[in-house]
Amino acid sequence: MNEQKTLVLTPALIGGAIAGVLSGIPIVSCMCCLWIIGGAILATYLLSKTTSAPLTSSDGAIIGVFTGIVAAVVKTILDVILTPLNREIYQRLMERFAEYMQEMPPGFEDMFSESSFETTVPKILFELLISGIIFSALGALGGIIGISLFKKKPPQPPQGAPNVPENTGNRQS
Amino acid sequence: MKTKSRVRLVYFLTLAGTLLWLGLIFLAPYLKSRDSGLNIFAYLIFAPICHQIPARSFFLFGHPLAVCGRCLGIYFGFLGGMGLYAFRRRFSVTTLPRIRTFILATSPLVLDGMGNFFHLWSTPHWIRFLTGFLWGLILPFYFITGVSDFFINRDREKAERSKNIS
Repeated sequence: MNEQKTLVLTPALIGGAIAGVLSGIPIVSCMCCLWIIGGAILATYLLSKTTSAPLTSSDGAIIGVFTGIVAAVVKTILDVILTPLNREIYQRLMERFAEYMQEMPPGFEDMFSESSFETTVPKILFELLISGIIFSALGALGGIIGISLFKKKPPQPPQGAPNVPENTGNRQS
Repeated sequence: MKTKSRVRLVYFLTLAGTLLWLGLIFLAPYLKSRDSGLNIFAYLIFAPICHQIPARSFFLFGHPLAVCGRCLGIYFGFLGGMGLYAFRRRFSVTTLPRIRTFILATSPLVLDGMGNFFHLWSTPHWIRFLTGFLWGLILPFYFITGVSDFFINRDREKAERSKNIS
Protein backbone atom coordinates (compact mmCIF):
# COMPACT_ATOMS: atom_id res chain seq x y z
CA MET A 1 0.00 0.00 0.00
CA ASN A 2 2.80 2.45 0.92
CA GLU A 3 4.57 1.59 -2.32
CA GLN A 4 1.38 2.37 -4.24
CA LYS A 5 1.11 5.73 -2.51
CA THR A 6 4.72 6.59 -3.37
CA LEU A 7 4.13 5.61 -6.99
CA VAL A 8 1.24 8.08 -7.22
CA LEU A 9 2.64 10.87 -5.04
CA THR A 10 5.97 11.39 -6.81
CA PRO A 11 4.50 12.03 -10.30
CA ALA A 12 1.76 14.17 -8.72
CA LEU A 13 4.37 16.25 -6.88
CA ILE A 14 6.38 16.80 -10.06
CA GLY A 15 3.37 17.55 -12.28
CA GLY A 16 1.73 19.69 -9.63
CA ALA A 17 4.89 21.70 -8.92
CA ILE A 18 5.43 22.48 -12.60
CA ALA A 19 1.77 23.37 -13.12
CA GLY A 20 1.73 25.52 -9.98
CA VAL A 21 4.87 27.42 -10.95
CA LEU A 22 3.62 28.10 -14.49
CA SER A 23 0.22 29.20 -13.14
CA GLY A 24 1.91 31.62 -10.78
CA ILE A 25 4.43 33.31 -13.08
CA PRO A 26 3.12 36.58 -14.53
CA ILE A 27 2.36 36.71 -18.28
CA VAL A 28 2.87 32.92 -18.65
CA SER A 29 0.00 32.32 -16.23
CA CYS A 30 -2.47 33.61 -18.84
CA MET A 31 -2.82 30.00 -20.01
CA CYS A 32 -4.49 29.47 -16.63
CA CYS A 33 -6.40 26.21 -16.32
CA LEU A 34 -4.52 24.58 -19.21
CA TRP A 35 -1.35 24.43 -17.09
CA ILE A 36 -3.17 22.39 -14.45
CA ILE A 37 -4.55 20.00 -17.04
CA GLY A 38 -1.11 19.80 -18.63
CA GLY A 39 0.52 19.11 -15.27
CA ALA A 40 -1.90 16.27 -14.60
CA ILE A 41 -1.23 14.83 -18.06
CA LEU A 42 2.49 14.97 -17.27
CA ALA A 43 1.91 13.25 -13.92
CA THR A 44 -0.02 10.49 -15.67
CA TYR A 45 2.79 10.08 -18.17
CA LEU A 46 5.35 9.75 -15.38
CA LEU A 47 3.12 7.24 -13.58
CA SER A 48 2.76 5.18 -16.75
CA LYS A 49 6.56 5.00 -16.96
CA THR A 50 7.02 3.83 -13.37
CA THR A 51 4.47 1.03 -13.36
CA SER A 52 4.00 -1.89 -15.72
CA ALA A 53 0.38 -2.45 -14.66
CA PRO A 54 -2.29 -1.13 -17.03
CA LEU A 55 -3.77 2.10 -15.71
CA THR A 56 -7.48 2.86 -15.60
CA SER A 57 -9.27 6.18 -15.93
CA SER A 58 -9.91 5.93 -12.19
CA ASP A 59 -6.12 6.00 -11.59
CA GLY A 60 -5.93 9.07 -13.82
CA ALA A 61 -8.61 10.82 -11.79
CA ILE A 62 -6.83 10.07 -8.50
CA ILE A 63 -3.40 11.21 -9.61
CA GLY A 64 -5.01 14.25 -11.25
CA VAL A 65 -6.65 15.29 -7.99
CA PHE A 66 -3.33 15.04 -6.14
CA THR A 67 -1.62 17.01 -8.90
CA GLY A 68 -4.25 19.73 -8.65
CA ILE A 69 -3.85 20.03 -4.88
CA VAL A 70 -0.06 20.31 -5.15
CA ALA A 71 -0.44 22.90 -7.92
CA ALA A 72 -2.84 24.95 -5.76
CA VAL A 73 -0.39 25.02 -2.84
CA VAL A 74 2.59 25.91 -5.05
CA LYS A 75 0.65 28.63 -6.88
CA THR A 76 -0.57 30.20 -3.65
CA ILE A 77 2.96 30.30 -2.21
CA LEU A 78 4.24 31.82 -5.46
CA ASP A 79 1.44 34.41 -5.50
CA VAL A 80 2.38 35.56 -2.00
CA ILE A 81 6.07 35.83 -2.95
CA LEU A 82 5.50 37.52 -6.32
CA THR A 83 2.78 40.01 -5.31
CA PRO A 84 5.19 43.00 -5.18
CA LEU A 85 6.53 42.07 -8.63
CA ASN A 86 3.01 41.60 -9.99
CA ARG A 87 2.03 45.01 -8.68
CA GLU A 88 4.93 46.64 -10.51
CA ILE A 89 4.25 44.80 -13.76
CA TYR A 90 0.57 45.72 -13.76
CA GLN A 91 1.31 49.34 -12.87
CA ARG A 92 3.59 49.59 -15.89
CA LEU A 93 0.91 48.00 -18.05
CA MET A 94 -1.57 50.51 -16.65
CA GLU A 95 0.68 53.39 -17.67
CA ARG A 96 0.96 52.02 -21.19
CA PHE A 97 -2.75 51.40 -21.52
CA ALA A 98 -3.58 54.83 -20.12
CA GLU A 99 -2.72 56.20 -23.56
CA TYR A 100 -5.63 54.19 -24.92
CA MET A 101 -7.96 54.70 -21.95
CA GLN A 102 -10.78 56.14 -24.01
CA GLU A 103 -10.76 53.10 -26.26
CA MET A 104 -10.72 50.53 -23.47
CA PRO A 105 -13.99 48.96 -22.36
CA PRO A 106 -15.51 50.00 -19.01
CA GLY A 107 -14.29 48.19 -15.91
CA PHE A 108 -10.75 48.01 -17.24
CA GLU A 109 -9.22 50.20 -14.56
CA ASP A 110 -10.74 48.05 -11.78
CA MET A 111 -8.43 45.25 -12.80
CA PHE A 112 -5.49 47.20 -11.45
CA SER A 113 -7.01 48.46 -8.23
CA GLU A 114 -4.87 48.28 -5.10
CA SER A 115 -7.13 45.69 -3.49
CA SER A 116 -6.13 43.22 -6.20
CA PHE A 117 -2.63 43.10 -4.72
CA GLU A 118 -3.38 42.85 -1.02
CA THR A 119 -2.03 39.72 0.68
CA THR A 120 -4.10 39.33 3.82
CA VAL A 121 -4.24 35.93 5.52
CA PRO A 122 -8.03 35.44 4.98
CA LYS A 123 -7.58 36.27 1.28
CA ILE A 124 -4.70 33.82 0.95
CA LEU A 125 -6.65 31.06 2.72
CA PHE A 126 -9.74 31.74 0.60
CA GLU A 127 -7.68 31.62 -2.59
CA LEU A 128 -5.99 28.41 -1.45
CA LEU A 129 -9.34 26.79 -0.72
CA ILE A 130 -10.87 27.86 -4.03
CA SER A 131 -7.73 26.92 -5.97
CA GLY A 132 -7.60 23.55 -4.23
CA ILE A 133 -11.14 22.66 -5.22
CA ILE A 134 -10.95 23.97 -8.78
CA PHE A 135 -7.46 22.65 -9.50
CA SER A 136 -8.47 19.22 -8.14
CA ALA A 137 -11.34 19.04 -10.62
CA LEU A 138 -9.14 20.28 -13.47
CA GLY A 139 -6.40 17.89 -12.39
CA ALA A 140 -8.83 14.96 -12.39
CA LEU A 141 -9.85 15.91 -15.92
CA GLY A 142 -6.22 16.17 -17.00
CA GLY A 143 -5.36 12.85 -15.40
CA ILE A 144 -8.20 11.10 -17.20
CA ILE A 145 -7.14 12.67 -20.51
CA GLY A 146 -3.58 11.52 -19.77
CA ILE A 147 -4.75 7.94 -19.28
CA SER A 148 -6.38 7.97 -22.70
CA LEU A 149 -3.11 9.22 -24.20
CA PHE A 150 -0.64 7.01 -22.34
CA LYS A 151 -2.55 3.90 -21.33
CA LYS A 152 -0.80 0.64 -22.00
CA LYS A 153 -2.52 -2.04 -24.03
CA PRO A 154 -3.08 -5.30 -22.10
CA PRO A 155 -0.42 -7.92 -22.95
CA GLN A 156 -1.29 -10.09 -25.94
CA PRO A 157 -1.10 -13.89 -25.44
CA PRO A 158 1.91 -15.43 -27.25
CA GLN A 159 1.17 -16.85 -30.74
CA GLY A 160 0.60 -20.58 -30.79
CA ALA A 161 -0.52 -20.73 -27.14
CA PRO A 162 -3.53 -23.02 -26.60
CA ASN A 163 -6.87 -21.25 -26.20
CA VAL A 164 -7.96 -21.74 -22.58
CA PRO A 165 -11.67 -21.04 -22.07
CA GLU A 166 -12.18 -18.00 -19.84
CA ASN A 167 -13.82 -18.62 -16.48
CA THR A 168 -16.53 -15.94 -16.57
CA GLY A 169 -17.96 -16.74 -13.13
CA ASN A 170 -20.58 -14.27 -11.89
CA ARG A 171 -20.42 -10.94 -13.64
CA GLN A 172 -21.92 -7.76 -12.23
CA SER A 173 -22.84 -4.96 -14.58
CA MET B 1 -27.35 -1.96 -13.53
CA LYS B 2 -25.09 -0.59 -10.78
CA THR B 3 -22.74 0.85 -13.40
CA LYS B 4 -25.58 2.77 -14.99
CA SER B 5 -26.80 4.18 -11.67
CA ARG B 6 -23.27 5.30 -10.75
CA VAL B 7 -22.75 6.96 -14.11
CA ARG B 8 -26.14 8.64 -13.82
CA LEU B 9 -25.30 9.97 -10.34
CA VAL B 10 -21.94 11.37 -11.47
CA TYR B 11 -23.61 12.83 -14.57
CA PHE B 12 -26.33 14.72 -12.71
CA LEU B 13 -23.97 15.99 -10.01
CA THR B 14 -21.61 17.25 -12.72
CA LEU B 15 -24.52 18.86 -14.57
CA ALA B 16 -25.64 20.64 -11.40
CA GLY B 17 -22.07 21.84 -10.78
CA THR B 18 -21.73 23.08 -14.36
CA LEU B 19 -24.97 25.07 -14.18
CA LEU B 20 -23.91 26.58 -10.85
CA TRP B 21 -20.51 27.45 -12.32
CA LEU B 22 -22.04 29.18 -15.33
CA GLY B 23 -24.52 30.95 -13.09
CA LEU B 24 -21.68 32.41 -11.01
CA ILE B 25 -19.95 33.67 -14.16
CA PHE B 26 -23.02 35.73 -15.05
CA LEU B 27 -23.81 36.64 -11.45
CA ALA B 28 -20.50 38.49 -11.01
CA PRO B 29 -21.26 41.41 -13.38
CA TYR B 30 -24.84 41.59 -12.11
CA LEU B 31 -23.62 41.96 -8.51
CA LYS B 32 -21.12 44.58 -9.65
CA SER B 33 -23.86 46.53 -11.44
CA ARG B 34 -25.79 46.55 -8.16
CA ASP B 35 -22.69 47.79 -6.27
CA SER B 36 -22.80 44.66 -4.11
CA GLY B 37 -19.54 43.87 -2.31
CA LEU B 38 -20.16 40.18 -3.03
CA ASN B 39 -19.03 40.73 -6.61
CA ILE B 40 -15.43 40.65 -5.33
CA PHE B 41 -15.89 37.05 -4.19
CA ALA B 42 -17.64 36.14 -7.41
CA TYR B 43 -14.69 37.39 -9.48
CA LEU B 44 -12.17 35.96 -7.00
CA ILE B 45 -13.52 32.43 -7.46
CA PHE B 46 -12.49 32.47 -11.11
CA ALA B 47 -9.23 34.39 -10.62
CA PRO B 48 -7.03 31.26 -10.22
CA ILE B 49 -8.08 29.87 -13.59
CA CYS B 50 -8.66 32.88 -15.82
CA HIS B 51 -6.73 36.07 -16.53
CA GLN B 52 -10.08 37.97 -16.53
CA ILE B 53 -8.72 40.64 -18.87
CA PRO B 54 -11.75 42.84 -19.72
CA ALA B 55 -10.50 43.35 -23.29
CA ARG B 56 -10.82 39.58 -23.80
CA SER B 57 -14.19 39.21 -22.08
CA PHE B 58 -17.84 39.60 -22.98
CA PHE B 59 -19.78 42.24 -21.07
CA LEU B 60 -23.09 42.11 -19.25
CA PHE B 61 -24.79 44.92 -17.31
CA GLY B 62 -21.85 47.12 -18.31
CA HIS B 63 -19.25 44.93 -16.60
CA PRO B 64 -17.04 42.07 -17.80
CA LEU B 65 -18.10 38.49 -17.13
CA ALA B 66 -16.07 36.63 -14.52
CA VAL B 67 -14.12 34.78 -17.22
CA CYS B 68 -12.71 35.60 -20.64
CA GLY B 69 -14.37 34.68 -23.92
CA ARG B 70 -12.33 31.52 -24.42
CA CYS B 71 -13.02 30.19 -20.93
CA LEU B 72 -16.71 31.00 -21.37
CA GLY B 73 -16.66 28.97 -24.58
CA ILE B 74 -15.05 26.03 -22.76
CA TYR B 75 -17.72 26.04 -20.05
CA PHE B 76 -20.59 26.39 -22.49
CA GLY B 77 -18.97 23.65 -24.58
CA PHE B 78 -18.81 21.49 -21.46
CA LEU B 79 -22.53 22.06 -20.95
CA GLY B 80 -23.19 21.18 -24.57
CA GLY B 81 -21.00 18.10 -24.18
CA MET B 82 -23.13 17.04 -21.22
CA GLY B 83 -26.17 17.01 -23.48
CA LEU B 84 -24.22 15.12 -26.15
CA TYR B 85 -23.03 12.60 -23.56
CA ALA B 86 -26.53 11.73 -22.39
CA PHE B 87 -27.67 11.36 -25.98
CA ARG B 88 -24.75 9.26 -27.25
CA ARG B 89 -23.72 7.23 -24.23
CA ARG B 90 -26.99 6.81 -22.35
CA PHE B 91 -25.05 6.27 -19.08
CA SER B 92 -23.89 2.78 -20.01
CA VAL B 93 -20.57 3.19 -21.83
CA THR B 94 -17.45 3.70 -19.72
CA THR B 95 -14.71 3.96 -22.33
CA LEU B 96 -12.63 7.05 -23.05
CA PRO B 97 -12.74 8.82 -26.42
CA ARG B 98 -10.10 8.07 -29.03
CA ILE B 99 -6.88 10.06 -29.14
CA ARG B 100 -7.65 11.46 -32.58
CA THR B 101 -10.94 12.88 -31.28
CA PHE B 102 -9.01 14.69 -28.57
CA ILE B 103 -6.46 16.01 -31.06
CA LEU B 104 -9.19 17.19 -33.46
CA ALA B 105 -11.08 19.04 -30.75
CA THR B 106 -7.97 20.52 -29.11
CA SER B 107 -6.03 21.68 -32.19
CA PRO B 108 -8.08 24.83 -32.94
CA LEU B 109 -7.77 25.95 -29.31
CA VAL B 110 -4.03 25.34 -29.14
CA LEU B 111 -3.35 26.95 -32.54
CA ASP B 112 -5.41 30.01 -31.79
CA GLY B 113 -4.00 30.31 -28.28
CA MET B 114 -0.41 30.07 -29.50
CA GLY B 115 -1.05 32.54 -32.30
CA ASN B 116 -2.42 35.11 -29.88
CA PHE B 117 0.24 34.46 -27.24
CA PHE B 118 3.10 35.02 -29.69
CA HIS B 119 1.30 38.01 -31.27
CA LEU B 120 1.04 36.33 -34.67
CA TRP B 121 -2.61 37.35 -34.86
CA SER B 122 -5.39 38.65 -32.62
CA THR B 123 -8.67 36.80 -32.87
CA PRO B 124 -12.04 38.35 -32.05
CA HIS B 125 -14.09 37.20 -29.06
CA TRP B 126 -16.37 34.91 -31.02
CA ILE B 127 -13.51 32.84 -32.44
CA ARG B 128 -11.98 32.45 -28.98
CA PHE B 129 -15.41 31.42 -27.73
CA LEU B 130 -15.80 28.94 -30.58
CA THR B 131 -12.38 27.26 -30.12
CA GLY B 132 -13.11 26.96 -26.41
CA PHE B 133 -16.58 25.57 -27.13
CA LEU B 134 -15.21 22.88 -29.44
CA TRP B 135 -12.76 21.70 -26.81
CA GLY B 136 -15.33 21.89 -24.04
CA LEU B 137 -17.64 19.57 -25.99
CA ILE B 138 -15.41 16.50 -25.51
CA LEU B 139 -14.42 17.10 -21.89
CA PRO B 140 -17.52 15.51 -20.27
CA PHE B 141 -16.69 12.27 -22.09
CA TYR B 142 -13.46 12.16 -20.09
CA PHE B 143 -14.61 13.62 -16.79
CA ILE B 144 -17.79 11.60 -16.33
CA THR B 145 -16.16 8.40 -17.57
CA GLY B 146 -13.17 8.72 -15.27
CA VAL B 147 -15.03 9.79 -12.14
CA SER B 148 -17.69 7.09 -12.69
CA ASP B 149 -14.91 4.53 -13.13
CA PHE B 150 -13.46 5.58 -9.77
CA PHE B 151 -16.76 4.96 -7.96
CA ILE B 152 -17.48 1.73 -9.84
CA ASN B 153 -14.02 0.36 -8.93
CA ARG B 154 -14.52 1.41 -5.31
CA ASP B 155 -17.86 -0.44 -5.18
CA ARG B 156 -16.24 -3.50 -6.74
CA GLU B 157 -13.39 -3.50 -4.17
CA LYS B 158 -15.88 -3.14 -1.31
CA ALA B 159 -17.90 -6.08 -2.65
CA GLU B 160 -14.76 -8.21 -3.00
CA ARG B 161 -13.62 -7.34 0.53
CA SER B 162 -16.97 -8.24 2.06
CA LYS B 163 -16.97 -11.47 0.02
CA ASN B 164 -13.51 -12.37 1.38
CA ILE B 165 -14.60 -11.63 4.95
CA SER B 166 -17.73 -13.81 4.66
